[in-house]
Amino acid sequence: MMKITICIGSSCHLKGSREVVEGLQKLIARDGLKDKIELAGTFCLGKCQTGVNVLVNDERFSVSPETVEEFYSSAVLPRLK
Amino acid sequence: MRTSNLCADIGYMSINHAGESLCGDHVEMIETEDRPSTVIVLADGLGSGVKASILSTLTSKIISTMIAAGLKLEDCVETIAATLPVCSVRGVAYSTFTIIRIVASRRAEIIQYDNPKVILLRGGENYEYPVTQLDIGGKRITRADIALQEGDVFIAMSDGVEHAGVGIKYNFGWKRSDIIEFMKTFVPVGFTAKTLTKILLDECDRLYDGQPGDDATVCTVKIRARNQVNMMFGPPADRADNNRMLSLFFSKDGKHIVCGGTTSTIAAEYLGKALVPDLEYLDPEIPPTATIEGVDLVTEGVITVSRVLEYAKNYTGNNSDYEKWSCGQDGASKIARMLFEDATDVDFFVGRAVNPAHQNPNLPINFNIKMRLVEELSEQLRLMGKKVKVSYF
Repeated sequence: MMKITICIGSSCHLKGSREVVEGLQKLIARDGLKDKIELAGTFCLGKCQTGVNVLVNDERFSVSPETVEEFYSSAVLPRLK
Repeated sequence: MRTSNLCADIGYMSINHAGESLCGDHVEMIETEDRPSTVIVLADGLGSGVKASILSTLTSKIISTMIAAGLKLEDCVETIAATLPVCSVRGVAYSTFTIIRIVASRRAEIIQYDNPKVILLRGGENYEYPVTQLDIGGKRITRADIALQEGDVFIAMSDGVEHAGVGIKYNFGWKRSDIIEFMKTFVPVGFTAKTLTKILLDECDRLYDGQPGDDATVCTVKIRARNQVNMMFGPPADRADNNRMLSLFFSKDGKHIVCGGTTSTIAAEYLGKALVPDLEYLDPEIPPTATIEGVDLVTEGVITVSRVLEYAKNYTGNNSDYEKWSCGQDGASKIARMLFEDATDVDFFVGRAVNPAHQNPNLPINFNIKMRLVEELSEQLRLMGKKVKVSYF
């Protein structure tokens, strides 16, 4: 099971956490991966400058509402093996 | 004698006669600290507009000041009769009034001159309390003395409330019994006195088709138990103070709200429990809440509290937003309900730590904004009649 954790702290929220969460929820539903990927939230990771901060297992990525799809295909799917 | 744990939540509002910018009704409230009592006077001046406004303002100011000073009712009524300017058209000086005096949150004295009889809902049902009739200077005045119980809701109103809908929705306005039936359905929900007032006046406005034929004023007094809510916002400036701040916070009676990401992280560590953020956006603009076992509510900080402040300002104003926060499940609505409805006493624990990541001029969440939020929210809560204490760490 892969765990994707999205920062929903103040700063990341202002940079679009909600759009990132919703984007990922849609993509995961589209590909039928709900039982392979768990989505979770976290408060501040202390890296506000690079928000929206997203952890794939323990690896940190910087995602924005515009780059959700790219992040999903380049970072999430390859790690799902 | 055991001191009473009860207190009064008081809310009043008016709607004006269509086309008038001044209200001919006036509510005045005075609290005295030494012999703890609250005097509320609702006066309804003859006619509408400027003249009525002057009559009712004078009447309510004079009566509330004199009664609060412990002067006899007879003297108050005489003073009003001697002071009020006589209307040149009608040849009378006239303002009806209702006085509610609450003594030590134990007894209520209700004195009325020609206003609709104050409604008392006790245990959710109408309670017709006995009144005695007095004659003071030719004026027929009623008086009642009531021992208070928790949950008592008093609804005082000007006759513009009973006249709502005359000739529009009802032939003769809605009756006292209709008003009682209408309000009985809202009282058990737990709305505040101000919101109950707003609900009744909205209904009057609707019955008047948005064109009130008279000024209508409602003053609701809800007798309730004191209840403390504690809210922690921000980590302390010095990390070494974490445990001191948290142990003081969690030793307080009542519910606990923790606001802010870092703040909830240190609270969870202190309690030795997991911090579990939610991912559900119940309001698109408000970050999701989280849970920590042992904490009643965990939310994000500045964005959520900013919204609570917006709701507070609206509440102390015309209260048009109550429907949003009184049923919303997002963090801001939940905080609003706990602070506005549940709390009579609010204890803020404010940490002065500066989050370096938030000191970006492009982000509307910096340190100064956080401090200003606490100050403004405290001020609004005091306007709501709550006792507020703020401690900084």
